[in-house]
Order: sequence, then C-alpha cells, then structure tokens
Amino acid sequence: MDVFLQQLINGLVLGGIYALIAVGYTMVYGIIQLINFAHGEVFMLGAYFAFTLVAFFHLPFWVAVPISMLLCAGFGLLMDLLAYRPIRNAPRLSALITAIGVSIALQNIARIIWGAKPQPFPEKTLPSFLQQVTPLEEPNIYFSFIGINFTEVAIKFPGNVSLAYLDLSIILLAVILMVGLNRIVSLTKIGKAMRACAQNRIAANLMGIKTNQVIAITFAIGSALGAIAGVMVGVREYIEPTMGYYKGVAAFAAAVLGGIGNITGAMVGGLIMGLAEVFGAGYIDPIIEFVAKNIGLGEYYEAGTISNSYGSGYRVAISYIVMIIVILIRPTGLFGKSTGHRA
Amino acid sequence: MRNWLIGLLLVPFVFVLSCDSGNQVRVAVAGPFTGNAAAFGEMIKRGAELKAKEINEAGGIKEFNEAGEVIKGRQLTLIFGDDVGTEKEAKAVATRFATDRRILAVVGHFNSSCSLAGKSIYKENGIVELSPGSTNVDVCQGSDWTFRNLYRDDFQGTFIARYIKNVLTDFETVSVLFDNDDYGRGLKDAFTTEAKKINLNVVSEKAYDRDTTDYTAQLTSINADKPDIIFVSGLYGQAALIVKQARTLGITAQFFGADGIDSPEFITNAGAAANGTYLTTPFTFGAGGEEAAKVAKAFEAEYGVPPDTWAALTYDAMGMIAEAIEKTYNSKATLAENRKAIRDHLAGLDTPEEGYTGITGLTYFDINGDTVNKPAYVKIVKDGEYTTAEKQMLDMGSQN
Repeated sequence: MDVFLQQLINGLVLGGIYALIAVGYTMVYGIIQLINFAHGEVFMLGAYFAFTLVAFFHLPFWVAVPISMLLCAGFGLLMDLLAYRPIRNAPRLSALITAIGVSIALQNIARIIWGAKPQPFPEKTLPSFLQQVTPLEEPNIYFSFIGINFTEVAIKFPGNVSLAYLDLSIILLAVILMVGLNRIVSLTKIGKAMRACAQNRIAANLMGIKTNQVIAITFAIGSALGAIAGVMVGVREYIEPTMGYYKGVAAFAAAVLGGIGNITGAMVGGLIMGLAEVFGAGYIDPIIEFVAKNIGLGEYYEAGTISNSYGSGYRVAISYIVMIIVILIRPTGLFGKSTGHRA
Repeated sequence: MRNWLIGLLLVPFVFVLSCDSGNQVRVAVAGPFTGNAAAFGEMIKRGAELKAKEINEAGGIKEFNEAGEVIKGRQLTLIFGDDVGTEKEAKAVATRFATDRRILAVVGHFNSSCSLAGKSIYKENGIVELSPGSTNVDVCQGSDWTFRNLYRDDFQGTFIARYIKNVLTDFETVSVLFDNDDYGRGLKDAFTTEAKKINLNVVSEKAYDRDTTDYTAQLTSINADKPDIIFVSGLYGQAALIVKQARTLGITAQFFGADGIDSPEFITNAGAAANGTYLTTPFTFGAGGEEAAKVAKAFEAEYGVPPDTWAALTYDAMGMIAEAIEKTYNSKATLAENRKAIRDHLAGLDTPEEGYTGITGLTYFDINGDTVNKPAYVKIVKDGEYTTAEKQMLDMGSQN
C-alpha cells in the first residue's frame, strides 16, 4: 500500500509536469490549429533564461522566474511575428513544417549558447524549501499533523511515503494555472475574443476582433506558462538543449489524449500520461511475472528466458499505448469536440 | 562540355590527393561530443588533443632512414566525429571515417553501443577502431580491426560483486537499476551471474530508458525490498538524477556505480546526493605513477580542469596509434596497406613484453583485441570529490 501511494504521488508529479507543458500546445492549437512544435523549446529556453539570470546575474530565484516568464512571453510573440504570421493563410502543412524548423533551430542555438552538457540548477540559489537533496540523517521535523511530518524538504506521510515541496509545488502550479486559464478564457474579454477566433477566425475578424493581436497574446501566455514549467523541471532534474524535445513530445501526446484545444483536457491528459508511465514502470514487471506463471510459462520465467526486470525500461511505450487506446475509442480525445473540419 | 564537367569533378580529388602526400598524418577521434554523454566526449577530445600536441611539439610522427636518423617529421592532425552517443549517428560517423581516404586509424567510439554499431563498417573498410571507453563484452568479438585499452564488463561486473561481498561486508542485499542498452545490460548480467555464484543476495533488478528523466517509479518499486545497496549500471547523467531522486524519496541505501558514472559531471549534477557513492574505474590518477601526474599537470594547465579517467585512456590510445603509425607508415604504400600495417602492429602487441606502457599502465591485447591485464580501482565520492577508496582489491587482477 505504501508503495502504491508513493507511486501515485510520483505519477501525479510527472503528470503535473506534462500538464504544465501540454497547456501551451493546446492553447495555440485551439486558436489557429497549429501544432507548435517549438513549444518544447520555449520550455527549454525558460529554464535556461532563469538559470542564466540566477547563475550569472546573481538575481534571486523569485526575481529570475518572473523575468524568465516575461522573456519567454516576448519570445513567443517574436516567434509568432517572424515565423508564423507571414504564413498564416498558407496551407496548414507549411505552418507545421515551419514549427518543426523553428524547434530544431532553437535547439541548436541553445546548444551554441549554453553548450551541450546538461547543467544542474545551482542548488544554493534556490529557496530552501525547493532544495531536494536530503542528507542521509533523519531530517529535522518542523511540525507534525495527524501523523504527517513536515520536514525541511518534504512532507512525510506515514509509511515513509514522501512528497517533496518542489514536487508539491509542481502539482499545485499545474492546478492553479489551469483553473486560472479556464477563468481567463471563459470570463474575460480577451478570453471571449480567443474563443471567437477558435470558432471562426475570419468571422471574428469581420466582427472587429483584432485576430492577429489575440493570437499574439495566446502565444505570449502559452510561452510564459512553458517558461515556468521549464524552470520547475530544470530545478527538479537538469537543463540541457534537448530537454524540451522529449518532454514536449510526451506533453503533446497528453494534449491529444485530453482533446487538443481544450485546457481542462490538457490537464487531465497530462495526469493520465504521467500516471500511466509511473504505474506502468512500477507494475509491469509483476504483471509479466503473474501472466507468465499463469499461462504455463513458469519454467521459462524461472530459467530467465522471460525476465521480470526489463519491463520498466519501456515505461514511455506504456504511456503511449494508453494514449493510443484512448484515441481509438474517442478519436477527438477525452474532452475534444468532434467538429468535422478539424481532420 | 562533358569533359569540362568531369574535369571540374576531379578538382577536389586532385586537391585531396595532393594534401595526402604532404606533411601530415590524420587520425580520427569518434565520441559523444554532444548529447547526454557529452561530458565524456569533452574529456576524450581533450585527452586526444593533448597527446597530439605533445607529439607535434616533439617533432611529429617521425620517419627514420636505415641508419636510424630522423629524415622527416609529420604533423599529427586529428579529425573529430560526433556520434552523439547513439547507434544511428555512430554508423554515420564510422562510414565517413572509413571512406575518408586521408584517415589512417580511428580512436573511439566511447559508448559500447556506438563501438558495436561501427564495428562492421570499420571491418569492411579495413581501418583500426581503438576504443578508450567501451566495456561491453562483445565489442571486440568477431572483428580483427577493433581494439580497446581497458577492461571488459564481465571483469568489471564480477569485480563489483566480489567487492561488495568481500569488502563491504556490512551490506547484504543488492538491487540493480540498469540502463537498457548494450553497456548497462551487459554489465548487469555479468554482475548478477557472479552474485549468484558467490551467494550475494540480489533482491531485484529494474531497467530504465536513457531518454527518460524520472526514475521515481523504479526507485519506489526497488525500495519495497529495502536493499542495502543499489547498484546503478548506467551512465553519469541518469545516475545523477537517480541518486538525487532517491534521496528526495527518502531512500537511504548505499549507491554503487561503475565506470559509466566516472565523470566529474556526476558530482556536479547530483550535488550533495552524490556523496558516499562507490564506483569502479579502469584508472585513477590517485593510483597512477609519476608520468601520470606529469600529464595531469599539463592537462590542467591547458584546460583549467583536472583530467578524468577517459582523458587518460584516450591519451594512451592516441599514443598507441601514433606509435603504430611511426613504426609502420610508408609514404609509398597505398592507404589500405598503411591501415593494415597499423592493425598488424597493434595485433602484435600480444604479450606483456611487447605491450605499450602509457600513463594508465601496461596495455597489451589478447586474440580478440581486448585488454585483459588491467585492474579495476574503487573510488568513493567524499565531500563532492572523487577519492580513491581506502580498500582496493587489485589482487583479483586476472580475468579468469
């Protein structure tokens, strides 16, 4: 049970990371039906901007993050202006290829500027509760509450189930940003304009909505969210030029799973992908063992021909299989609306 | 018109041929200069460059007349090829090197899977591949053209199992977390085979994929068995995340790694979580002689950082190739003959007396092209630095 709970937490954290990135894909797609492959690179740049501000300009973490978000928002605007706006009315395939091109270009520019080596976020510059590395000794407990201990870096539930504050903040951030975005889209004027653009861009333009402006703002918001996701992942893992690629592809799959174009869908899709990956890695091997023994292949299992150790290496494949099954059952994704023209 | 075109096409050939007869000999270096093993690549590049620089400053690769006098010194020029640590790129790099008519031999590749991917290409084209880093058992099997100047994983895996059993006697149970590629799998298999023989209790094995960055799922499953030691059979980048995430999860097991995590980047990336990790390595400057210390000094003066194991092994590999060229190069012979002569020279280094003595010790090859005489050293991370562990186990030196 402890293992199950810990895996649940692990899955939620990974899902939260995917959800944070997936929102950026889904917002842009919702409005201009463009799969902005370069979003993964904006995510990567967000991490590098914050890293540079902290490590070389010695800004405090809390100042560096908003600046990095602003820089990325500006970068999103620039990307739209230079790469996507000129071909707004070209066939959709041109825009898609452009997006892939922008993605590759940005990856290589980052490699030239910051080098190919993965770099850790300087631990000392982080606020203390975001630091992860617990010393091997028993950590200090700040206070306890119904058996739950709040230590320096993590919450310890009974049975040695632990949730680092950093991971908790990733989940919280994903939820807060998603709720906030949903509010913006459904309640504000710019949100209304976004929805209008999503329905029919030409009609929206005829009604006096400055569609180019709305699209630009969408890019800016999506990029700022990508930046904050990048910082969180950079702090949790490390920063490298290709970090946006792998995470970006998984997040894109999450957006598709949830129904691309739908913000709640991106969130739910992200969580499903994360949970599928973690539970897949955690439980595929016992399942293989169980199946092998119950279909009369026990001797092969004992002899080592069927192994119980390789399954967890295919965790990513497992999450994609889950995505494919969902798409087979609901081709538009969980929250997607079936509209004929979005092939 | 057609003649004119053919003439134009021939121009680069003439140019290449004229370069070849000049005062240079070219050796290629293949390694992961970018990608997630880039820290290894950087050290390999520097190790090779330093040796080439020293050779060139001492007059280059010399040609002697019958009386033993130097009649010509050729500059050693290095050509680098980035295999990104992936099989796909390794094949492309191998093809480029093998078909380049100026290149005499290749130092590389680093990753076992890359050496394996390039093996058949080098063999077909008849050019030597001398790896300073690949430890997978199969690397040198089945090709007369592939060599390496360090131990194999069957030796390393056996060594680690015995070290845990005989030296780290306070620890009883072990879990293995392995990278699902040629290196990680091969090393894990060697380790578990020996563990079974000597009754070391391996409670679980779990695979991971190098492209993922989250290992909490595997660590949580492993920790259900509460192992005393977690043996990470993989590379430094992933290992750094693994120890970090393990400590975040509150896992207190002792970590043990192999030469794949022997990079300063392991400590940089893992921070305080790296402390206390044991690892094996084919060479450590702490156990090297005077010559090694001298090279370490020159290296640090040149690049501002101390050299690591891989820089040292590449330095020696480059030295071996340079020596082979110096002894066999014939400017009148064809490229294929010169490449073959280098291979024959290396294959001839098959006894301790014939062997090459470099900073990492004596190197000589068995019938496969493997080096079987080099010991494994144990290092431990202390206060953010690698230190040579107090208890070594050099006596299990031989492979059998």
